[in-house]
Amino acid sequence: MEQTATVTNARQGGVGQYIGRFIANTGPLLVLLVMAAILWILSPPFRSPTSLMLIGLEAAAIGIVSAGQTYVILTGGIDLSVEAMVSFAGVVAAILIAGTNVAGGQIAEGIPAVAAILIALAAGLGVGLLQGLLITGLNMNPLIVTLGFRSILLGVSLVVTNGAGINIQKDDFLAFITATFRIGDWRIPMPLIIALIVYLVSWVVLRHTRFGRYTYAIGGNEVSARLSGISVNRVKIMIYGISGLLAAMGGILVMGRLVSGAYQNGTNMTLASVAAVVIGGTALTGGKGGIWGTLIGVFIIRIVEAGMVYLSVPSNAKEIVLGIIIVIAVALDVLRRGEIPWLRMRRPATT
Amino acid sequence: MQSTTQHPVVLEMHGITKYFPGVVALKNVDFEVRRGEIHALVGENGAGKSTLMKILAGVYQADAGEVLFKGEHVAFHTPKQAQLAGITTIHQELNQIPLLSVMENIFLGSEIMRGPLINWAEMHRQSKALLQRLHLDIDPRVMVGTLGVGQQQMVEVAKALHHRSDLIIMDEPTAALSLREIEDLFTIIRKLKEQNVAVVYISHHLDEAFRLCDRITVLRDGLHIATTETSDLDMDGLIRLMVGRTLDEQFPKDVAPRGRELLRVEGLTQGDRLHDISFSVHAGEVLGIAGLVGAGRTELLRAVFGADPIDKGDVYVEGKKVTIRSPRDAIQHGVVLMPEDRKQQGLVLGLSCRENITLAVLKNLTRGVLIDRNREREVANEYVESIAIKVANLEHLVTNLSGGNQQKVVLSKWMATQPLVLLFDEPTRGIDVGAKVEIYRLINRFVRQGGAVIMVSSELPEVLGMSDRIMVIREGHVTGFVNREEANQEILMEYATGTGRSVLTPVGDQG
Repeated sequence: MEQTATVTNARQGGVGQYIGRFIANTGPLLVLLVMAAILWILSPPFRSPTSLMLIGLEAAAIGIVSAGQTYVILTGGIDLSVEAMVSFAGVVAAILIAGTNVAGGQIAEGIPAVAAILIALAAGLGVGLLQGLLITGLNMNPLIVTLGFRSILLGVSLVVTNGAGINIQKDDFLAFITATFRIGDWRIPMPLIIALIVYLVSWVVLRHTRFGRYTYAIGGNEVSARLSGISVNRVKIMIYGISGLLAAMGGILVMGRLVSGAYQNGTNMTLASVAAVVIGGTALTGGKGGIWGTLIGVFIIRIVEAGMVYLSVPSNAKEIVLGIIIVIAVALDVLRRGEIPWLRMRRPATT
Repeated sequence: MQSTTQHPVVLEMHGITKYFPGVVALKNVDFEVRRGEIHALVGENGAGKSTLMKILAGVYQADAGEVLFKGEHVAFHTPKQAQLAGITTIHQELNQIPLLSVMENIFLGSEIMRGPLINWAEMHRQSKALLQRLHLDIDPRVMVGTLGVGQQQMVEVAKALHHRSDLIIMDEPTAALSLREIEDLFTIIRKLKEQNVAVVYISHHLDEAFRLCDRITVLRDGLHIATTETSDLDMDGLIRLMVGRTLDEQFPKDVAPRGRELLRVEGLTQGDRLHDISFSVHAGEVLGIAGLVGAGRTELLRAVFGADPIDKGDVYVEGKKVTIRSPRDAIQHGVVLMPEDRKQQGLVLGLSCRENITLAVLKNLTRGVLIDRNREREVANEYVESIAIKVANLEHLVTNLSGGNQQKVVLSKWMATQPLVLLFDEPTRGIDVGAKVEIYRLINRFVRQGGAVIMVSSELPEVLGMSDRIMVIREGHVTGFVNREEANQEILMEYATGTGRSVLTPVGDQG
């Protein structure tokens, strides 16, 4: 035991906590940079401005959805309905713009994209608030409520489109929000700019407003928060409203890019958003983490997916990789808390 | 109490040192326990008692030093290893599964099997034998959740016996027990002693250490101060060792001038827990609430604060009738609650001191929609200074503070709202002697400045020492009001247990 006086704090929780702390501190950003560097070296096509633009473009929608998921997870909840909301909002907007659905043919005049989008966003906000109302008012489990709404929203999208995509014509507004701007060799996609604005606003909201402080307080200890006079239910209802709104916003961007509203538009986005939040360092138990971590998490997922393309991994394997990422992400969440028992047991019982 | 000087040593800890980020929690601490000895480990919060015991139990690892248990060098890395070696810790929070039976809990993880099936008959027989060794009349088949806290603790002790523990660490075992349960526990601990088991007894109740323990070890600021035979020490001497100075008085009560009525409660009724409770409290007054565990003391405070709904009853603040349906309403009317469990109900452990202190007043600290960080810091600083919270940095997480300082953070949160009435549930639970006195002085200051305090405490000396008037409740009914001058332990116990004669002051006529 002579040399033990020099051992660092890491011993407290054994190897597990050491790894956990390392990841939490230097963490996600380092992982992102290392992965990008590896891809940069291995795959020349990855280095082109176009491929980088594509990564940014594809990160935008899932990024906005994940931002909403961050709010929910910070309160200790989860929103499994986001992918269905992405599809639903896209379908709603597409039907309004086209004035048609595939099942019924032309049923009305189309309306301008701006109006259609505002209606779709309002629908997203409303459905989110309704979920929050059920979760808080009836004290229902968020997992089940949002899983239920996932089915409802997907089902509605499927029924009204009859399973086909609703194709639309871009008007000026829709063209604007899905455009890419050229700066020299580089092309900046508008959706990415929108996403960054969402993140900036979210950062201000979470870190510099009462609402944000209450979000952390509720995730940290809901009982104390309530006994401190915080209207816990109101904050939570708003949180699910925000998640619904941002998921709908993500849905609009997907729809705009594909020029089609279809019930598959949001496929896999729930899993990806939860993974992004957790990879980014937000605790699944709530109260700890932040919005910038989520953005890094989103890019990590995007880089992995892009890497699969550039390294010629069959696209059918995408789901496997996404699944592995989420499992790893949750393992990291546990590691960060230093709670993996066998990593602590490894050490000899006696000296 | 016969001396245990002759007994062989079962545990030796030498030169134990433990660093936490930025702190030396233990510095070169020696600790020794003999077989069949009840050894008190005392010290203020933050003195290092729990850390030392957690090192012993494998929760933490020491950064330096050695541990000899039953003559062998050991260093446990998990509580399980320590338990297998014969060291069991019984925590304040019990580790039992309420929906399983007593015997299932005792044998959890070491079930007796017959082939692939559990041998219920044998487990029942052995549990019964274990409980009988402790002279406990508990049916091994009843669900643990249906037992009282005291009996659940006994089941833990039986479990420790089942694991053939040579050393049992009891960390604040009496914190949640009634007086009678405490007596039962002491009987059990003495039984363990007869069976040559060593017990390390950690408690803030120094009188318990004197009544129960053979030797006392005092820690202060992570240092070993003294280990002596209990008979060589008296209470004052022990307190001096613990705090490093003499305490003028345990309860520095100032009687403040009594002002106008601040809060009146009439006919408060809640299910079968609270029945037609009426009382009032005036500016400058501390109203103590005494009663046995389960009498409805905490429930009463929570009901007044709006934390739990009530069926009937009116609340008047400064003479005006108010509606309190949530803590938010109560806070707006100047009524705030210091809960008994500050970690679960008072603090958000993952937030900083600053964020906890300003949690209830954030709406006054915003400019537009944004929080004004500078003003927030000013407010937090103001209370850190005026309430003397010992924290190096406002941004430190409250989870790293000692119990006393955490309590002061919760108090700061409420003081920032400038309340009229402070409902104070167990003001000094789990707080060391020095910090207790500071909390009492803060109570004095609050009432002197025109506030009123309603204080619930399980410690009768505290109720007697700090209250201007005491309301006793039993099974949800008010059984009496006693003035400071007339109050003593016997009277309070009479009202609390229902052996009292008549109500001294008629209920409802005490304002």
